[in-house]
Amino acid sequence: MWSELRRLKADTDYGTPPRDGAPVALEIDGVAVTVPAGSSVLLAATEAGSQVPKLCACDTLEPFGSCRVCLVEIEGKRGYPASCTTPVEAGMVVRTATPRLQALRRGVLELYLSDFPADEIEGGWSEFHQTLEQVGVRSHPYGNAGASHAGAAVDQSNPYFLFDPAKCIVCSRCVRACEEIQGTFALALQGRGFDTQVVAGQNQPFFESDCVSCGACVQSCPSQALVEKSLFDGATDHATATAT
Amino acid sequence: MSSPAHLHAPPSAEPAVMELERLLTMAGQIGDFFAPYPPERAAEGVRNHLRSYWEPRMRAALLAHIEAGGHGLAPQVVAGARLLQDEAAAKKSYYGPPKA
Amino acid sequence: MPLPLQPERSVVTVCAYCGVGCALEAQTRAGRIVRMLPWKEGKSNHGHSCVKGRFAYHYYNDPDRVRTPLIRDSIDEPWREASWDEAIAFAAAGLRGVQQRHGVRAIGAVSSSRCTNEEIYLTQKLARAVFGNNNIDNCARICHSPTQFGLSATIGAGAASQHFDSILQADVILVVGANPTEGHPVFGSLLKRRVRQGATLLVIDPRRTETVSSPHCQATVHLALRPGTNVLVLNSVAHVIVTEGLYREAFVRERCEWPEFERWQALVSDPRYAPEVAGPEAGLDPEAIRTLARRYAAGPNSAIYYGLGVTEHSQGSTGVMCLGNLALACGMLGREGVGVNPLRGQGNVQGGSCLGSWPHVYSGYRFVSDPEVRASFEAGWGVALDPEPGLRLPNMFDAAVGGDFRGMFIMGEDPVQSDPNQNHVIAAMRNMEFVVLQDLYRNETSKYAHVLLPGSSALEKDGTFTNAERRVSRVRQVVPPLAGLQDWEVVVRLMNAMGYATQYRDAGEVLLELASLTPAYSGLSFELLERIGSAQWPVDAKAPEGTEVLHLERFPRANGLGTFMLTGYVPTTERCSERYPLLLTTGRILTQYNAGTQTRRSANSQWHPEDVLEISAADANARGIRDGEQVQVSSRFGSTQLKAVYSQRVNPGVVYTTFHHAESRVNALTSDRSDWATNCPEYKVTAVEVLRVAAPAGVSAASTQASEVLA
Repeated sequence: MWSELRRLKADTDYGTPPRDGAPVALEIDGVAVTVPAGSSVLLAATEAGSQVPKLCACDTLEPFGSCRVCLVEIEGKRGYPASCTTPVEAGMVVRTATPRLQALRRGVLELYLSDFPADEIEGGWSEFHQTLEQVGVRSHPYGNAGASHAGAAVDQSNPYFLFDPAKCIVCSRCVRACEEIQGTFALALQGRGFDTQVVAGQNQPFFESDCVSCGACVQSCPSQALVEKSLFDGATDHATATAT
Repeated sequence: MSSPAHLHAPPSAEPAVMELERLLTMAGQIGDFFAPYPPERAAEGVRNHLRSYWEPRMRAALLAHIEAGGHGLAPQVVAGARLLQDEAAAKKSYYGPPKA
Repeated sequence: MPLPLQPERSVVTVCAYCGVGCALEAQTRAGRIVRMLPWKEGKSNHGHSCVKGRFAYHYYNDPDRVRTPLIRDSIDEPWREASWDEAIAFAAAGLRGVQQRHGVRAIGAVSSSRCTNEEIYLTQKLARAVFGNNNIDNCARICHSPTQFGLSATIGAGAASQHFDSILQADVILVVGANPTEGHPVFGSLLKRRVRQGATLLVIDPRRTETVSSPHCQATVHLALRPGTNVLVLNSVAHVIVTEGLYREAFVRERCEWPEFERWQALVSDPRYAPEVAGPEAGLDPEAIRTLARRYAAGPNSAIYYGLGVTEHSQGSTGVMCLGNLALACGMLGREGVGVNPLRGQGNVQGGSCLGSWPHVYSGYRFVSDPEVRASFEAGWGVALDPEPGLRLPNMFDAAVGGDFRGMFIMGEDPVQSDPNQNHVIAAMRNMEFVVLQDLYRNETSKYAHVLLPGSSALEKDGTFTNAERRVSRVRQVVPPLAGLQDWEVVVRLMNAMGYATQYRDAGEVLLELASLTPAYSGLSFELLERIGSAQWPVDAKAPEGTEVLHLERFPRANGLGTFMLTGYVPTTERCSERYPLLLTTGRILTQYNAGTQTRRSANSQWHPEDVLEISAADANARGIRDGEQVQVSSRFGSTQLKAVYSQRVNPGVVYTTFHHAESRVNALTSDRSDWATNCPEYKVTAVEVLRVAAPAGVSAASTQASEVLA
């Protein structure tokens, strides 16, 4: 765990935690790179200068592999594995930006977008918005008739941050942050498929759960479903405000 | 533990810096710490502590009390405080936490 | 929902709360702070923070902030506003006036552990070079001064031997008298990570705190000892280690004073400290003591983390020495993953210790009575200095009541709320003729002040903080100081007004001066910190970018060897009696910070709107107290009212409360007992009685009393 924390950089997200280990040499998009054994292909790609789009991966958290955005092609292996959950092997040859991969990523992101508030796409600056920009997705072809989470109630019980399930992409970064970084285990994913949702405690408002309001989940949330109340126009100073 | 009986400063001293009872309690506590040590080291430990950590008026008040009988003070405290007046002991020029 | 607005500017600075000293990015928009984001490259926090540093920053523009200097001739008059020049001149004249009437040693100063290293250095220089005495103290007096004393005696340095990350290499973690999950949350999270990886956790604490038991993190042994029995229990642990031959003889022979080890070995081998004898006396199972001792000694890497549950006792310094002795005997020093680590509470209390904000030492822990050291400071400051140790803060109050101490300069400190034996402190403050207070808000102490100078928060100034792992980091100004001056600029003005001409271009110049007079800080400068972010002292010619782990080859004592101190158990004189049959101990909670000055002015009070008294169901039932009822809590020294709450975390015979709210007046209860070496107050042991407020006739709640007969 030594390297995981001590090699983090403020201006770079490696995608998965840095590791200690014997050097492993591989090739990413034609660039030779050497990383410690145990590193992910995503980390190696970042080291090699390839910007692989991602959503559920973050270098302060153990990889989860749920978002299906960081897919890559690896010579000699079938399919399109997630680079965050694939450990490096000596001699691997990896491609991160083929037309097939672009198409797959676009498809995945369009699906995410179809269940995202339409009026919060233009002008957004969250990590999700930046990834959309990176892949070149601005709209989706699915119309507005299908089921969505648009009407979900916003949890404002915590005085400092809110949780808007309509923007949640169920990447579980918040759950992992609460477990791995803070160690409180206040959050969980409940339900299956379309009904999967992030819950605090026993499906309680955040303030009533075991949440200690450390803000690690807010910091890790890529879509600003969890976001600081102080970032909104007209936010009152909490010295005089009561909980809304 | 000590239980001081005389609580007024001798007439020749400057105004008391604090109540004598409090001073004697503190001195007694220092003596209790050094009690497990052999007598010479205990006395030196007390001397060094008073010299390094006590304000001069506090030391003077303690010495005045000792001159007036030293009621309720353990032997190592009396011996250590008396060493403060010994020029030879002062020349050791060590100041700091207790050591061998 | 509307879109959140993006911050415009970002400044990396250090959290103003606890001794973890998280690196935070203060993000602003249109001149207002809109978010504090943990900085990933912060070496003490690695991108994590807690509810306080992350969210509770709104205190900085709270309406209660003191915005102009205030002065008055007597504490019975209302305040009147004044300009900076007028207030500084009034303060200077007032302090000098006291000296003219009562002598040079009749005034003193207290620096603030919430202020920067540069400000603390200037405050102790104010006392020494300008007041002309050594009456300067800091709040470590009431928390970790025994750490200074006890660790200096055994291993030569009164500071954490490791950096925080070192815990990731520990196999056994021994936590004594500390609750990191609430007091040092980010470090607590790191501790939990390591325990989830398989390290063994051992805890010595009267309460079943969250550190003892939380999801996926359980202590293997928890010694819930009776408050006041630390040295007894630690000697018993030592007894096991010594009599079962578990100590590392090679380490002791090579790196310690062997004759002193033998002396210590004889003391702790005494049957009086056998677990079968000491255990029941402390309320513990002897087998648990044996298990803890064996696990700690076995390691291979055992690390000690301790807090105020060790220091705030009448044998505080002795307790710290016990920990030093244990680590030396078992060879748990001088590499990663081990060590003796005091969890310093305040953001810059370590700085206060390092920079000589003490009556007995100058910066760098060098004694004022030492003529050579004094000469170097006289040369550096251009003025003759008092050769005698000054008064400690508790002794300043004693001297105000019993002697002729009559004036104070208090920076960022609220002794009336924070110091023990409140009635005594108030009596002392009433006896003062002139008190200058520099703070963010009016507080309990300002009721007794004659000058109130507006302080500046950590968000409003430049300088450095030193955290609990000796890490010096840059505090960077995010917004301008509310009243126009940074705290260090105010101290410089006061120095000039009192006749000591001095000036500095910026805080960086102050750092260079203090570095030249403090060996462990000699290589520090703003330029170095811009380049590498932070550095753990010693930062000097041998270690230009700082030192992560101490004691690698030698201990900083004169002969380079560690030593063993004789730690005989002396029970505190604060004992239960028929009148006061319970023991009160105190602690902290996550969301509030110390006296609550900052956190009570944030939404954190939603979690902890009042201090409550935790009482076991057995004790409550015996007194007819219902869960949630108001109770009268009384000690020999005073009385107050709190809400009682049933708790399974305290054993029968022990009650517990926090002290974050001024209205609770918890320090009306705490005693006048203190550590033998440093006068650190014995906050952790107070004999009390707890009764229902609507008590039946004939049972009276105690009020201020003279000494009681002890049972």
